[in-house]
Amino acid sequence: MKQDTEADVQSDVSADELLRAVKQFLRESAIPALSGRDQFNARVAANVLGIIEREQALRPELTMLDQDAAEKWLPRGAAEQDVGVEIARALANRQIATDELFVNYLKARQLLVTAINNPRYPSRMIAERRWRNSVDGG
Amino acid sequence: MTSPEGLKQLLNRALREQLAATIPGESVAQLTRLSGGANNETWRLMWGETPLILRRRPFSTDAVADLEGNILGLSLVDEAAVIGLANETDVPAPQVHAVFDSAHPIGEAFLMGFIPGESIPQRWLADEDYADARNQLAYQCGEALARIHTIDCSQLPKTIGPTTLEKRFDAAQKRLHTFGDISPVMQFGLNWLMDHAPSEAPCVLLHGDFRTGNLLIDKNGLAGVLDWELTHQGPAEEDLGYLCTNVWRFGQLDKPVGGFGHYADLIAGYESIAGWTPALEAIRYWEIFAALSWGLVCQTMGALWHSGQGDVERAAVARRRSEAELDILLLIEEWNAS
Repeated sequence: MKQDTEADVQSDVSADELLRAVKQFLRESAIPALSGRDQFNARVAANVLGIIEREQALRPELTMLDQDAAEKWLPRGAAEQDVGVEIARALANRQIATDELFVNYLKARQLLVTAINNPRYPSRMIAERRWRNSVDGG
Repeated sequence: MTSPEGLKQLLNRALREQLAATIPGESVAQLTRLSGGANNETWRLMWGETPLILRRRPFSTDAVADLEGNILGLSLVDEAAVIGLANETDVPAPQVHAVFDSAHPIGEAFLMGFIPGESIPQRWLADEDYADARNQLAYQCGEALARIHTIDCSQLPKTIGPTTLEKRFDAAQKRLHTFGDISPVMQFGLNWLMDHAPSEAPCVLLHGDFRTGNLLIDKNGLAGVLDWELTHQGPAEEDLGYLCTNVWRFGQLDKPVGGFGHYADLIAGYESIAGWTPALEAIRYWEIFAALSWGLVCQTMGALWHSGQGDVERAAVARRRSEAELDILLLIEEWNAS
């Protein structure tokens, strides 16, 4: 008889897999058993788990994009989590020239953020088609 | 929080007195909370043989009430007063039967008539049964908006005063700062709106939330205009642009008016009542403003959730800010290309 090896039987469960398990519970057990507002909120909760799943996957790409932007547009730099805030404040103070290069950064960032929050938002498909070349080149 | 049974008891006591002379009935039946509405609760109920709708604000708005500008909307008492004024025009709006202020045990609320019709966009935007209704709807919306804009502003509750674009920009900027300046795109959009502001136009009464999702549709087209809580004063084109903004097209992006119609019909319907022609460019400007406003609403929902008020829906709506941001970038790009 073949002995089970580590590769054959996986016993650890990753964060992604936990999310999938909870989502499955919501979709297959909780939502059908609930009604009214609770059922509505359970559907929302299942969608929220999808956001977390996608954010885990796409966050590194977003961080790289922001770090690159910090080097270009924030002369004093910024901590990783503060890049968006610092850029927004520089914009409010009119300290950033909103040229094509900068707008391309905003577009690339927005394609990623909507890929996390709502990849099926209808105008995202238009944006994706229209911007993909310019943001890759930017 | 009041339980549905508790709410029913409170309503029974209040309505026996308030509806005695107008609607026959003894007690509330079939009290059901309708889905949707991240801000106010909406309940459907029967009073005798008459179906009614209760709008109720179950939470305190103190956490965000000190922010300048009106993003959570009017008090329900003021909303009811505006609907009363709309009833005096030919705009199809529900009749208000009872109003409760925040000191009442029911909480801030009003009770209105039930208008038959379909409000769920995914149904009436797609269903072949509504094809004729959709064909007429952009024109009818233009007519209805023009009628709303004729309401005499001197009759409005004091909280609905005139404003200027400059004040609106200041309020939006203040709100972005208050919410921690978390979005470069929201700031980029506000800067663009300030840099491309049209000259100040006379204020009219705006519905403020006239869009697919807040309209009741039947086979003949527009049957009812709901959700008057964002009513405010501003230039007429604002209401038209709001109806056309991407987020309220529900995926039907090739039909700019609410996902069902075209600009020319909306403008023609408006002109037929108002006697003047709104400019398409101005409507497009207000579409971008509406995208920014929607982003601010999403941020407000996030702030409310952080203050401990609201459920998972409100937390999730905060993430929809990214849709508004995407639209801001798309719309500005289209404007620059035109």
